[in-house]
Amino acid sequence: MNLKNDELTKSINTVGDVFVKDARIKARNVNVFYAEKKAIDEVTIDIGNKEVISFIGPSGCGKSTFLRCFNRMNDTIDICRVEGSITLDEENIYDKNVDVVPLRARIGMVFQKPNPFPKSIFDNVAYGPRIHGLADNKSHLENIVEMSLKRAGLWNEVNDRLISPGTGLSGGQQQRLCIARAIAVSPEVILMDEPCSALDPIATAKIEELIHELGNDYSIVIVTHSMQQAARVSKRTAYFHLGKLIEVGKTKDIFTRPQHNQTEAYISGKIG
Amino acid sequence: MSKKFLNPADATAIVKKSIKKRRAKDSRLKLYGRFAVGLASCFLIFLFYTIFEKGTPGFFQYYVTLDVNFDKERIDPKGDLSDNSLFSGDASKIVNEALFILIEPKGRKEKKEAKKIISSGKDVRIAKMVKQNPNLFGTVTKVKFALDDDIDSFLRGYIKRETPENERRVNDNVIKFIDKLNAEGRISYNFSDYILSGSASGNPEMAGIKGAFVGSILTLFVCLLIAFPLGVATAIYLEEIAKKNKITEFIEVNINNLAAVPSVVFGIMGLAIFIGIFGMPRSIPLVGGMVLALMTLPTIIISSRAAIRAVPPSVRDAALGIGASKLQTIFHHVIPLAMPGMLTGTIIGMAQALGETAPLLMIGMVAFIVDVPNSVVDPGTVLPVQIFMWADFAERMFVQKTSAAIIVLLTFLISMNAFAIYLRKKLERRW
Repeated sequence: MNLKNDELTKSINTVGDVFVKDARIKARNVNVFYAEKKAIDEVTIDIGNKEVISFIGPSGCGKSTFLRCFNRMNDTIDICRVEGSITLDEENIYDKNVDVVPLRARIGMVFQKPNPFPKSIFDNVAYGPRIHGLADNKSHLENIVEMSLKRAGLWNEVNDRLISPGTGLSGGQQQRLCIARAIAVSPEVILMDEPCSALDPIATAKIEELIHELGNDYSIVIVTHSMQQAARVSKRTAYFHLGKLIEVGKTKDIFTRPQHNQTEAYISGKIG
Repeated sequence: MSKKFLNPADATAIVKKSIKKRRAKDSRLKLYGRFAVGLASCFLIFLFYTIFEKGTPGFFQYYVTLDVNFDKERIDPKGDLSDNSLFSGDASKIVNEALFILIEPKGRKEKKEAKKIISSGKDVRIAKMVKQNPNLFGTVTKVKFALDDDIDSFLRGYIKRETPENERRVNDNVIKFIDKLNAEGRISYNFSDYILSGSASGNPEMAGIKGAFVGSILTLFVCLLIAFPLGVATAIYLEEIAKKNKITEFIEVNINNLAAVPSVVFGIMGLAIFIGIFGMPRSIPLVGGMVLALMTLPTIIISSRAAIRAVPPSVRDAALGIGASKLQTIFHHVIPLAMPGMLTGTIIGMAQALGETAPLLMIGMVAFIVDVPNSVVDPGTVLPVQIFMWADFAERMFVQKTSAAIIVLLTFLISMNAFAIYLRKKLERRW
């Protein structure tokens, strides 16, 4: 553990390497409270550049709560309070001067349940670029939409019906539409909150393949219930238990040689 | 005490035994439901039947056709067709002469009685006709005149010949005249041209609902203009922006209570504030609309909040997650999705406001106003108040007019609701 590069860190109870060399996001001693209840307890972790990291752990361990700290989606919950510091490229995102709007444009999010807007497929993808003023003109906007849909692997399936409603697609297609919508605003980090839990295995396979590809260009944090999925898509894995970050390490190591006994218990199916 | 599990065969037998009871309960409930719906439909049919049965004759009235000699010298003495000139003319006398030719009254008393057969609006009718078509001057033209309300009631059979003359509002002489006119085929039963285009009048045969109808539209317009934006804005603020704390809770409870406050209280408040403090004139649709807006606000706020709450949170997450600001999320996603529900609430509120009488009595919209209001600051009345006033008048003919006005009010209401349903269907989107 190379503690010296960070003064903020008081103590780390986590097993494994929480720090990486080319970190984009640095979370330091993050605590999250729902009213009086502590949901996240002193979590410190780095998210590297163009790295796919998965958060695993039993239900209610706080992995989704922690994920939502990165783009401040927890702000929408009145009783939720975040302590500690999270920096994106050395800028504290919980600073008073930080506006959440540009922050969320830089850190995109894909939710558990596919949630396309009740609008056309085109408008779904174009919404982000439109509100942020990313496109100079109509053809530029069309270009962005096409590129995003192509990146999300949806273009071939929908290019002949861009004006039909996004809600009319199948579950897997809807989720890929949501990914296209997220990448349309050219984010740097994409957060995914159990993106496949509402999908069938074939749709899941497609999304996983997509995550794999996107990992070449974006930092991706994925929360998942499926250990196989974590093993398939991510290079690093973090194991959470009861609001604590128990162990972080290379995915391969976590699944084959877990160092903490709780991690081992979870991996082998004894808890969770 | 250790109870063992039943064996499956026993359990099946018990379930079978209870099944009959459960089925009976089901069918009993169905029966009650059908009975209730049937009863309600019966009442509804009875209500509509009586209203239409009583009200339809209110749209018609009896007319007499006379050959009027359009003498320019006498009708329009100054010859410039101005109101002044026509008013000082002799139109009434000309009409009476045309009548006397037909029924030949003898002596002053009979002539005086004969004059009363035709409604007092006859000179106005002549004036209107020559204004529209000055070519009528110098001709003898057949013109229809409304009969006096007593004669109308007599022809409808409400005043009977058998009644002794001194207890009857129509005396023997007049009956003789009417029989004469009838024999010559001069009396006709036609669609009334006063009921829809006339205003309040002391003469029942000339009374109409145009003034009240226009007053209702103006009042509702003011009400909608104030209540809809204010109600929706309040709902959005309370639901999306305000922090959930003691103060907002207090406001919420009070809004819910306001919805249950008797409407007459809003009238008293309007009287005290708008008329008492701000010194606005009485009887104007502007004040009426403001009072009704206060009354409908809680309805609109409550239904709009329900509509906003029904918007799935996932849509909000999606918009926020992509970097939309709170305002963009509300205006681009929440409001469009909640709009059908908001409109439904608004229309329900408007329908309530349309039928409201009590608060408007408080602010003086019950005044007798003959002119049709041209703007929201002209004195006027509204349909339900007009119905309320007519129902109070003694003349027999007002009974039919009241029912006719009720039909108009109901038609107004139903078309408003139909419009609301159409609007909702059009705006409704699935997600």
